[in-house]
Amino acid sequence: MDLTVEATLESEIVSRKHPRVEDFISTLKVFVKNRIALAGLIIVVIYAIIAILDWVYPAYLGIKSGFDLSDALVTFHMSTYLGKPILYPSPITGSLIPFTIGVSYGVPPYGSGAIITLIPPTLHGPTNTPGWWWIFGSTAYNLPIFPVMLASLKWDLTYTVVIVLIGAAIGTIVGTFAGFYGGATDEAIMRVTDIFFSIPFLVLAMAILYVMGVSINNVLLALIIIWWPIYARLTRGQALSVKANKFVEAATASGSSRIRTMFVHILPNVLAPVFVQISLDLGTVIALFATLDFLGFHYTSIYLPELGNMITWGDQTRYLFATPMNWWPFLIPALFLVIFTIAVNLLGDGLRDVLDPKLRR
Amino acid sequence: MKIRYFIIRRLVLMVPTLIGLTLFTFVLLYSLELTHETQLVSQYINPHSKDIAAQLRKAKIALGLNLSFPQQYILFLERLVNGTWGFFPTQFPMFGGLPVLEGIEKSLPNTVQLAFFATLLSVILSIPIGTYIGARPNSVSDNVGRVFSLVGYAFPVFVLGILLQLLFSRAGVVPRLIGVTGLPIGGTMPTFTSPPSWFRAGTTYPTHIPILDGILNGDFSFSWGAFIYVILPVLTITYGLLAGLLRFIRSGMVDSLSQEYVKTARSKGVPESWVIRTHVRRNAMIPAITVMVLAFAALLGGVVVVEDIFSYHGMGLLALNSVLDFAPYGVLSTTFFFGIIIVIANLVVDVIYALLDPRIRY
Repeated sequence: MDLTVEATLESEIVSRKHPRVEDFISTLKVFVKNRIALAGLIIVVIYAIIAILDWVYPAYLGIKSGFDLSDALVTFHMSTYLGKPILYPSPITGSLIPFTIGVSYGVPPYGSGAIITLIPPTLHGPTNTPGWWWIFGSTAYNLPIFPVMLASLKWDLTYTVVIVLIGAAIGTIVGTFAGFYGGATDEAIMRVTDIFFSIPFLVLAMAILYVMGVSINNVLLALIIIWWPIYARLTRGQALSVKANKFVEAATASGSSRIRTMFVHILPNVLAPVFVQISLDLGTVIALFATLDFLGFHYTSIYLPELGNMITWGDQTRYLFATPMNWWPFLIPALFLVIFTIAVNLLGDGLRDVLDPKLRR
Repeated sequence: MKIRYFIIRRLVLMVPTLIGLTLFTFVLLYSLELTHETQLVSQYINPHSKDIAAQLRKAKIALGLNLSFPQQYILFLERLVNGTWGFFPTQFPMFGGLPVLEGIEKSLPNTVQLAFFATLLSVILSIPIGTYIGARPNSVSDNVGRVFSLVGYAFPVFVLGILLQLLFSRAGVVPRLIGVTGLPIGGTMPTFTSPPSWFRAGTTYPTHIPILDGILNGDFSFSWGAFIYVILPVLTITYGLLAGLLRFIRSGMVDSLSQEYVKTARSKGVPESWVIRTHVRRNAMIPAITVMVLAFAALLGGVVVVEDIFSYHGMGLLALNSVLDFAPYGVLSTTFFFGIIIVIANLVVDVIYALLDPRIRY
């Protein structure tokens, strides 16, 4: 009896890995058990793969390197179809359906009075362009929705990740600093974050963009300015509770400098809720990006594939041909965005469950 | 501590936030002086005059743009208190050439109407539903509720708003299918062919709140008409609010369910419905009330988008138009005003919090 216990103990000691690795593995096990969070993670990874693939080798996606919307426009230039009804094969019966041509109410690049066509979702393109380009139909300026949607992820995800990561880095350092040093520094920093929290962030973004002027760099800057206080407040509370631990006292007693204590002992211990917040904010920021474009802040070139651009065009062309209403140019890019925000929320919830020690074991 | 002292302490704590808010608005103004100088003084210049440069100089002196930073801040505070908040440019929609405060006076009541119905609806719905699903964790109804609130969290406001338009507006899917007149796709209130004395230039009198003014002036059909215009925007805002509230009430309920005092109450033989209502729900509501502030701030942010989609003339649309149509004083005033509303909402919620939970006051 005693011998077997000893033997198992010994084998445990031998097989024991580094505590961090062990911790990570048990975390992973808990996370994988949560099927919904896993589904969220898979969707986010698929989106990320599309975006990364578009950066490194766009041909895999059937997209030209350096794809911008002018390419798509050239392949399907409207002047070819001026005054002629376009015939496209019906996805159900295969018979040819004449397609109505309408008049847009003018957004660049063609200005008012330009003739545009909207092709409903179909498996066959109306021209010799690849068939799968048209499975979701086309949006304003005859852009096939599907490839443009894939291409738009590249910019949307890149900008979102840049904003959230920089905001999180600034906020975490400032918040940890405030929580660790305390006193007047803490008070001053928290009063500054109070100002940011007392104005709705959309209104704040609009005001900052008005002052700085609308451009993509300024949108990035404005959103970073708005985003750091969330992390500062989050980590400050966390740092306050970590500071009360004995190991901080021990570090101080053994001669660790304050800066070293802050970065080596406090900072790693406040990061768990930061990761949860980052995953939730990815969804918020990508939606805010689209919202700003929708509201009329056209910060990107009209040729840049971007989800906000696409949704805006879809919205503007909803009533172009009154019956039946053009639901697809708006709804498909919008749902593409919503799927990502839902997945990111699922992932964030799963992470929170994993990182909450109460639910862990 | 008596609640009176708590309120006084809370008011004193509000002062630095208010100073910060004015300072922030002033920094915006000061940077506008560097980037948008002509827009700031354009209202005070006669474009047909021969000597524009002299007029520009005069306008800058009159507005105090030649002063130093602290001097300008004092001047700014003085104007804030006086109520001279500047003007909208002449080509501004609805309020061209009018004082900014007049624009706010006529826009705010419409937003109050929206916010009132949205808050009312979300509170009425969230408390019973949250209690129901929170008391049955991991049941089917709980999972439905979680999906519902998750989708509400994840849907951007403008997607939801346009979805509702596609479904329920006059040209929408649902009215077409069942053959009824749909809801209006946008607008603030019905128009009159021969407007009565209490309706001038798209604004109702005396309170400017359309539904209330209709009732006050005895025109109930107008109130009903105005209510119909409010339905879709309110539903759009409510969904987001409801999603947040449900999530927090549910997690609060689940947390309190595992507390010792709930076990005690059950073992005493207290009926389950009584346990849920008095022991669990009351404690679960306290964190949910803090969330109300955040939800309210989100509501005011969401109002910008919703009012844009439904072309509803409220504060949000005023703020958006100010930014898009280059009205510098409009931008400053609306930003400041939104800030003030949230600061006051914070105060109100803290007081409610203290009334509900005596521990907070100490």
